[in-house]
Amino acid sequence: MFRAILYQQWKWTRLIVALGTVAAFAIPLFSLRSSSTAMDHKMAAQFLADVQSWGVLYPTLAGALGVLLAIALWAPDHRGRHVYSLTLPLPRWRYVCLRYLAGLTLLAAPVLAVALGAGLASLTASLPTGLHAYPVGLAIRFALAAVVAFTLFFAVSSGTARTAGAILGAIAALVVLQVLISASGSETNILMPVLNALLVAPGPFAIFTGRWMLVDV
Amino acid sequence: MFERLDPRSPTPLYAQIAERLRAAIVTRELTPAEALPSVRQLAASLRVNPATVVQAYRELEAEGFIEMRQGAGTYVREVSPSQRGAERERQATELVRKLLTDAARLGLSVREVTAAVERELGEKVR
Amino acid sequence: MSDFAVEISHLTYRVKRAFALEDLSLRIPTGSIYGFLGPNGSGKTTTIRLVLGLLRPESGGITVLGHAIPAEAPAALAGVGYVPEAPHLDPTLTVSEAIWFHSHFYPTWDAAWAGRLVRDFELDPRRLFGKLSKGQKGKLMMLLALAQRPRLLVLDEPTDGLDPVVRRDMLSALLDYVSAHEATVFISSHLIHELERICDWVGVMDNGRLVADVEMERFKTGMKRLKVSKCPRDLTPLPFRVLTRTPLNGNGGETWLVRDWAPEMAAALTAAGGEIQEVIDLDLEEGFVELLRSFRTRRPEAADV
Repeated sequence: MFRAILYQQWKWTRLIVALGTVAAFAIPLFSLRSSSTAMDHKMAAQFLADVQSWGVLYPTLAGALGVLLAIALWAPDHRGRHVYSLTLPLPRWRYVCLRYLAGLTLLAAPVLAVALGAGLASLTASLPTGLHAYPVGLAIRFALAAVVAFTLFFAVSSGTARTAGAILGAIAALVVLQVLISASGSETNILMPVLNALLVAPGPFAIFTGRWMLVDV
Repeated sequence: MFERLDPRSPTPLYAQIAERLRAAIVTRELTPAEALPSVRQLAASLRVNPATVVQAYRELEAEGFIEMRQGAGTYVREVSPSQRGAERERQATELVRKLLTDAARLGLSVREVTAAVERELGEKVR
Repeated sequence: MSDFAVEISHLTYRVKRAFALEDLSLRIPTGSIYGFLGPNGSGKTTTIRLVLGLLRPESGGITVLGHAIPAEAPAALAGVGYVPEAPHLDPTLTVSEAIWFHSHFYPTWDAAWAGRLVRDFELDPRRLFGKLSKGQKGKLMMLLALAQRPRLLVLDEPTDGLDPVVRRDMLSALLDYVSAHEATVFISSHLIHELERICDWVGVMDNGRLVADVEMERFKTGMKRLKVSKCPRDLTPLPFRVLTRTPLNGNGGETWLVRDWAPEMAAALTAAGGEIQEVIDLDLEEGFVELLRSFRTRRPEAADV
């Protein structure tokens, strides 16, 4: 059964996975292309700034892959094929689990691509003393970020359209509430604590923030 | 043979199927020892309930026209001349019965019906 | 094996304010071909959805192949072949991929039967499902349901809207399967003359209620139009049910639409002081239409059905 579901999910998402894998392989290589052993302090600092700006692409790609994959996996069901999956002879929770595992399997491709690209880039780059490459750490972090994004949006998408709408509605309500509070002149900020809880460790999205450095001191 | 099988007719489908087969056997359109289609084949090709075919075959078997051999298929039996004669008599009676019923519904008298029969046959009916 | 493939008892389900299934009870004998008739909106598709566990009833019980629905739905669905009204497969899969996908979920899958039906139905294995014609989609849905080797087939208007050639092919395949395996069929359709050929039981729905649930032959032969030249004053002792009465020719004669008629009952009518002029047979479609029409006409003399 898993094979069948995986194959079907692959057919739905192969463009996303393919593009994501290519991008995931390319980013590390591009980020290190200006490396050389003979760098003075100023050049090294510039180099690291370069690496950091390329580094922004990692969480972006991880997030995008997670979101797009999750939505692509469930869109056909929302478009009316729920009946088919609901009349298959397996419990709903088992079906959802198989779908989730299939999604994780598909995510393995870009994750491996990051690992390979980072590894290759690290091996072929010429780094001055004092700078080290962290390909493994980077790949693991990328994997976790992709999984977090995928899991979250998978959970939202796997519910009914009504649930997804409710969640978006709750977010919108929070924003509107904040606007009203500010308009009434009060200093209270309800969004900042929420964002803090989400983005600062140990919040779920903390993994996306900060610097993504393939090469660092 | 089974064209115009009419599910709308008050005659049940199994009876219509049995009727066609009986007529075909009596007129030797189906010859003795000839194999009839299996229940499965006939049900699928006529698009009727297999139970309907079974009922038709059973009726014909009870009347002695066919025999269903366990696991070997269904075959036409030899029809004796007296059987054939009895069947022809039955068919003629059915036709006449229907004619008379329809005539009664239309309010036609026996004399009017007989006159029409004579006209069509081109000779006097005794 | 139980006597009944499907047992529905005292089922209640409300669709917002539109209509309700109220205290519905229905049993489908194992091995029968049960035809489900009714006008649009009468609750046929809702009943089918409830039987498959797609909807949750408010009260009452459903048992399919011995399993309670929806508690044991997956176990029941393993033996149920479902052909829905609207083909609902993945348009990005080809015919052979769709068959391959489906086969993984049913341990009783018959790959040889599937292969034979692909040839019989003349389906191109490499064609995308989304690109198939309406008839080909219907045939594929039938193929999937039959190749599962199910014990119960649930068909919701499987051939409605399809051309006659496709309808013949699908019905032949269905009956071929039923002849070769022990299976129960639950089929709903507006093509009454097709149902008339194949069903041995018929259930009629009207406005959320099951108004008839009887052997096909009894329904057909029991529904008659009687031309009565003299009406008895008192209808209560009559052994059949009078659904509607309309004046016939101004001489006191009437046309009756009756139910549960048998030829022997003519004597009872005569004994009650009536006189029959003619007994007119009704086929299934006429009987069905007249039955429903009798509910729409609210005549005070009409017997309570």
